[in-house]
Amino acid sequence: MKIGVFVCHCGSNIEATVDTAAVARIALTYPDVVFAEDTMYTCSEPGQENIVQAIKKHGLDGVVVASCSPRMHEPTFRRTVERAGLNRYMFEMANIREHVSWIGRDREANTNKAAELVRLAVEKLRRDAPLYAKQFDVTKRVLVIGGGVAGIQAALDAADAGIGVVMVERESTIGGKMAKLDKTFPTIDCSSCVLAPKMVDVAQNPNITLYAHSEVESISGFVGNFTVKIRRRATYVDWDKCTGCGTCTEKCPTKNVPDAFNENISTCRAINIPFPQAIPKKATINPDYCRKIKEGKCGVCAKVCPTGAIVYDMADEIVEEKVGAVIAATGYDLMDWTVLKEYGGGTYPDVITSLQYERMMSASGPTAGHIHRPSDGMEPRNIVFIQCVGSRDCSIGRPYCSGFCCMYTAKQAIMTKDHLPDAEAYVFYMDIRAPGKMYDEFTRRAQEEYGVQYVRGRVSAIQPTVRPDGKVGYIVRGADTLLGKQVEVDADMVVLAVGVEGSHGAGHLAEILRISYDHFGFFMESHVKLRPVETNTAGVYLAGVCQGAKDIPASVAQGSAAAAKVMALFSKPKLENDPQISLVDIKRCVGCGKCIKVCPYQAIEEVDVRGAKKAHVIETVCQGCGLCTATCPQGAIQVAHFTDNQILAEVNALCQC
Amino acid sequence: MSSLLFATPAELTAWLAGLASGQRVLVPCQEGPSVVYRPRTAEQLSAAGVNALLRRSTSSPKQAVLPQCETLVAFKSVKDEQDPSKVTTTVENPCKAEPTVLFGCRPCDARGFVVLDRPYLHGPFKDPYYGARREATTIVTQACPSVFATCFCHWVGSHPADGEGSDILFTAVEGGFVLDILTEKGKALVEGAAFADGSDKAEAVAAAHKATAEALAPAPNLSEAAAKIAARFTDTAFWTRETVKCLSCGACTYLCPTCQCFTITDEGSQLNGRRLRSWDSCMTPLFTLETSGHNPRPDKSQRMRNRVSHKFSFYPERYDGFFSCVGCGRCVISCPVSLDIRHMVTAAMEGMEGKKPAEAPAAPAEKTAETPKAPADAPAAPKTPAKSKSKKR
Amino acid sequence: MSVLAGKELRIVGFLCNWCSYGGADTAGTARAVQPTDLRIIRVPCSGRVNPLFVLKALMNGADGVLVSGCHPRDCHYSSGNFYARRRLELLKQFLPVIGIDPERFEYTWVSASEGQRWKDVVTNFTARIHALGPAPRWEDVPARYDMPVELLESLRPLGCGEHPALPELKQAIKDALAQGLEGVLGWKKGFDAIHAEPVFMTTPEEVDSLIWGPFNVQNLAVFLPQYKGRKIGVVVKGCDSKGVVELLSEGLISRDEVQIFGMGCNGTVNLSRILAKLPEGAAIESCACRGNKITVTAGGQTIEMTMAEVAQDKCRLCTKPNAVISDAFAGTPTTEPEAPQDGRLPGLRFLDSLSLEERMGFWKGQMERCIACHACRGACPMCVCRDHCVSDSRDPEWVTQEDTVQQKLFFQLIHAQHLAGRCTGCTECERACPMDIPVFALKQQFGRTIQKIFSYGAGLDVNATPPLLTYQVEETTIKERDLA
Repeated sequence: MKIGVFVCHCGSNIEATVDTAAVARIALTYPDVVFAEDTMYTCSEPGQENIVQAIKKHGLDGVVVASCSPRMHEPTFRRTVERAGLNRYMFEMANIREHVSWIGRDREANTNKAAELVRLAVEKLRRDAPLYAKQFDVTKRVLVIGGGVAGIQAALDAADAGIGVVMVERESTIGGKMAKLDKTFPTIDCSSCVLAPKMVDVAQNPNITLYAHSEVESISGFVGNFTVKIRRRATYVDWDKCTGCGTCTEKCPTKNVPDAFNENISTCRAINIPFPQAIPKKATINPDYCRKIKEGKCGVCAKVCPTGAIVYDMADEIVEEKVGAVIAATGYDLMDWTVLKEYGGGTYPDVITSLQYERMMSASGPTAGHIHRPSDGMEPRNIVFIQCVGSRDCSIGRPYCSGFCCMYTAKQAIMTKDHLPDAEAYVFYMDIRAPGKMYDEFTRRAQEEYGVQYVRGRVSAIQPTVRPDGKVGYIVRGADTLLGKQVEVDADMVVLAVGVEGSHGAGHLAEILRISYDHFGFFMESHVKLRPVETNTAGVYLAGVCQGAKDIPASVAQGSAAAAKVMALFSKPKLENDPQISLVDIKRCVGCGKCIKVCPYQAIEEVDVRGAKKAHVIETVCQGCGLCTATCPQGAIQVAHFTDNQILAEVNALCQC
Repeated sequence: MSSLLFATPAELTAWLAGLASGQRVLVPCQEGPSVVYRPRTAEQLSAAGVNALLRRSTSSPKQAVLPQCETLVAFKSVKDEQDPSKVTTTVENPCKAEPTVLFGCRPCDARGFVVLDRPYLHGPFKDPYYGARREATTIVTQACPSVFATCFCHWVGSHPADGEGSDILFTAVEGGFVLDILTEKGKALVEGAAFADGSDKAEAVAAAHKATAEALAPAPNLSEAAAKIAARFTDTAFWTRETVKCLSCGACTYLCPTCQCFTITDEGSQLNGRRLRSWDSCMTPLFTLETSGHNPRPDKSQRMRNRVSHKFSFYPERYDGFFSCVGCGRCVISCPVSLDIRHMVTAAMEGMEGKKPAEAPAAPAEKTAETPKAPADAPAAPKTPAKSKSKKR
Repeated sequence: MSVLAGKELRIVGFLCNWCSYGGADTAGTARAVQPTDLRIIRVPCSGRVNPLFVLKALMNGADGVLVSGCHPRDCHYSSGNFYARRRLELLKQFLPVIGIDPERFEYTWVSASEGQRWKDVVTNFTARIHALGPAPRWEDVPARYDMPVELLESLRPLGCGEHPALPELKQAIKDALAQGLEGVLGWKKGFDAIHAEPVFMTTPEEVDSLIWGPFNVQNLAVFLPQYKGRKIGVVVKGCDSKGVVELLSEGLISRDEVQIFGMGCNGTVNLSRILAKLPEGAAIESCACRGNKITVTAGGQTIEMTMAEVAQDKCRLCTKPNAVISDAFAGTPTTEPEAPQDGRLPGLRFLDSLSLEERMGFWKGQMERCIACHACRGACPMCVCRDHCVSDSRDPEWVTQEDTVQQKLFFQLIHAQHLAGRCTGCTECERACPMDIPVFALKQQFGRTIQKIFSYGAGLDVNATPPLLTYQVEETTIKERDLA
């Protein structure tokens, strides 16, 4: 075998702490290496061309590139060697940037380590074999998890492209957080006027199957061929019969149910339709409150329902759908701000979240758009907005910026002035982050045109007081860091811009989807810069805040982007597998079936070979995890490119006593 | 040549200790519950009581001349920095035959080397590695003071005081040991030793030999074994029945003083490699596995047939009637299922008087052209198996 | 290639491609400065990490080995790390028996987003290895050959007399043969009175040769897989029956193809212990067994011994003297004693009493005399790879043909690792060893760890799944150590 080694400087990224020329020199002493050189930017056009020319000139049949992470450029260089006529799998990478030059400062140690990593790559490559992909059929339907604006956009774009869409929404209506908003920045557009038509489109598009009040139970399979089990939670109302007339919700005698859609600032009935524009507009019984379900007494709704849709003994139902791709668009929830005792931690009735305030301002909200503070219904005169509640706060383990709070706080302050022209609005902020089109102008308008008082500083405490007139007030104490002095505002009401986190249960969903998620419940994209929509699991894409905090236009854009990724995936008549999969040596297999037991994909079947039981790998199902290889005692099943002998060669190259 | 010397136990160990200063002295040593041959220094030997050196070893002393694993050749290549296609290779021939004294083996063990000599030294090729070590080894044998229940050297043309293969044969007598110097090599070994003349002890020696020999049960006549076992070759039912209990573990072959088969493997890379020769066993399926995946001896009955036939039929056919079994009985003692080669041989011979191979009951399953004279099965020279084990590099 | 002298130690990392390798990338992207010792081998999944890779590295002189995968429940392949967790925890607890400090090996979970965590893991693990210093080398450790003989007190009275139900057993076998069974594996008298040998009985006359008693040492379950597809029977002691159960549970033999004949066992002998009491090499003239006494006449001497002196170690701590599964059980079952507090056989008891370095020296001394015949493998009923053992193969090539202590011991490690959760404790490996190497201690080390972590004993339930072929999402009995 003739191997060429290319050691990348990556500008100064590697060269600064690794002597790449020395690494190339050492590489030449390795077995089978006939050519080695250091290059400036191996991944650049001339860098790749250099590899192609070297393959031709020196008759190389395998290439090692020592540069960045294979997670970054392995596909790039595989295409390069393929261009030169080699099989794309006759290529290995040594990661001497992320794993060497960027983490070690000792040039001698780094150079030695880089040379050893090249040695590992060479030893592995020496045992590589050309691999060829297999084609398999693809189910051209996509599962969209979450019916917020990102999911809606993704579903509509995919459906418009003729792709079947299965949308699963946990709540009884789609619309997500945007449906709760009164207005949107920076135009003060009516949120539901923008969103509602899209929601209707979802309901009416023949390509979209909507499962509301449902959750994804499990997903098996792999890109192109997922099988999804969806739990349709019992609604106790036969939605095929329900017309959404609302009679039941008027007659239900249980009136003390916290209204989740209104962020629990009001109550609703035990049978409820969340809001007038709900899609689907169907009633749902809350079994925790329904007297008939809890105590067996009542049954009013069944009596009044004109279509006889009420089913008190309804059970959850599991339905199965086949899809070829998945878009996760599960959005966000607010972090638990009750940990912030300096803001009352949820105990002061007039300290509310901005989402609650949003519902209060909404014409279709519980107060019909009138701002009354919760404790006594008083129309507030002084309203304090506090930003970065649970954002950018390392002291509570929340280091990140929630991104869109600056903007909606400005919007809410402006709208406060619109609703209550005599009221004063104060905004405590750390920095104003308004890096969008028309955004900074918008926050300036709040200050300059609407006279919202912006105070740069953090609030240290909110102290309830009883004023001389007997009414409750709230002394908001904070620092004005621009003036360098302590400030106090006697507020009637405080609105907290609470930071966001991945929606509750996102971690569990990530586990079902086999994607990574972080500490805060945000899903991990494949590459932070270049693959922000993909995940590390082929066929699973991300849209909206589930991937990281972002505002509506960014969520919509990512929804469209995810749909475009799915369209690209489905544009081919068949998909190709990654041929780095397991293969059984039937001469060695004794048919003990241990591999079949552990395979996570049911990708191994038992076959009869001339009367003997043998294992057989279904090539398009195997994902190449190698669990079978680590399990087989005879070593009869080997995962290509990570064979026992390859890993042993790497171990032996490192440890030879 | 034969001359007798007398040594007291102290003189014997002192002599051995003296030998250890110039050469490797291998003696039987207790290790755990087993007795194995180990090199010992002069200090260790003078400290050891003589009785500790007279134990019969658990495994055969074959290792002294034919090690379990040896490096046939080792090489190192260094690439030219300017032109990596040019390499400078240094080859090391590790065939080092250290002068060795093998002390305390039994007559059967010593005869084992004679069995090995025929294919390794007297065949068409002379094995330089074996030959050099054989040449450098002087064998000091102890005439058996007693016999084991599993001993059957007298079945295969020997006896407990057989000097064949030995350079010195010593016999325990009252007060010490009588050394019978059998060869020039033996003579060189006792040169300068302060041993008394032992001619007067000849009678005591003879008496001791007689007593041991008489302890052996009468032996069957194996003079027609080669032909009879050859005639049994195609009797598959016989071999299957006799090997039902065999585990195919191969312990018998590794303990055997005469098993001579080896495998060759290459280790390392093309820049730094070693070619190894190590013991192989015809009792394992891999022994005959061909690269194609076909195995001419897939079943343990065929493998056992080969082992018995090789020792009692193929080998004597090739080498003037000598068996390649010295009757040490180690394979019997150590077999986990008490498989007894003595029984195997007598059972195979039974009822085969005057039968030719063709007349033996042929099993329908084995119609393939395997004849008793199958040259492929009878190793004309030490095997160099070209099998899947050999490395492709 | 060598580590930088004086600066670095040899630390090998196996990282899953999806989480931990990405986490290491994230740490790099964040310029999180780390010690330079670690060399990362990329694998698809932590489930790909055969514990033998770790052993290989440690046996070859690595000073530390680290495995890192996706967090439990977050495996890219759903469940690879669940299997890895069981295997690696077991491995960690196994290491001390061969004298390797378990602190030299660790496994952990780092996700692709946890760059800082990865930095902490590397920093802390490297510091730990530096605190331990370079790993002891096999060449430097003094070999030791001693192993005291320890005769454990038996949990129950052991006996060797004629079993009253033997005629009943023979009749049951004859009946089964008459009903079409091809043959039944049992024991008959071997070449002398104290050696028994396996026999495949096909005729009533052969059944009459069946013996039952202290000399029936062989575990006949070892032969069963080769009769696959044929209807046969097997006579079992309690310990043998566990092997049959394990073979059944692994689907290596079919229940409808094997009839099991059992009888209460009163213990078997360690032949070496009998032979040691006789004049060396003496031919056995006769042997009589009565009660718990064995009287052997050999070389003209008559020597009496008791089962307490000569019984096999495993019989002394046996709690399953009756077949755990049988189609025909002759006579009344032997009383089953309670499981002992301490189930260790002398090999493991002795090893436990040694320091880590002494244990290394112990194995060095023991393996020096190994002749690599692999009789241990041949006698093992659970070695079902048979003709395809990885130790004989070049692809994969886990061991070379070299006769070094490390290579020979590595074969034993392969055997022990492959038997983890499957070994029924019959100790045939040790009995078969012609060089009397106490190789069972390695299997018992795995066995007791499995008992401790998974409360599992092999060969007791046909429907059980061996613990390494399954997992729990929450492993309540695995206490993981966090390196970050």
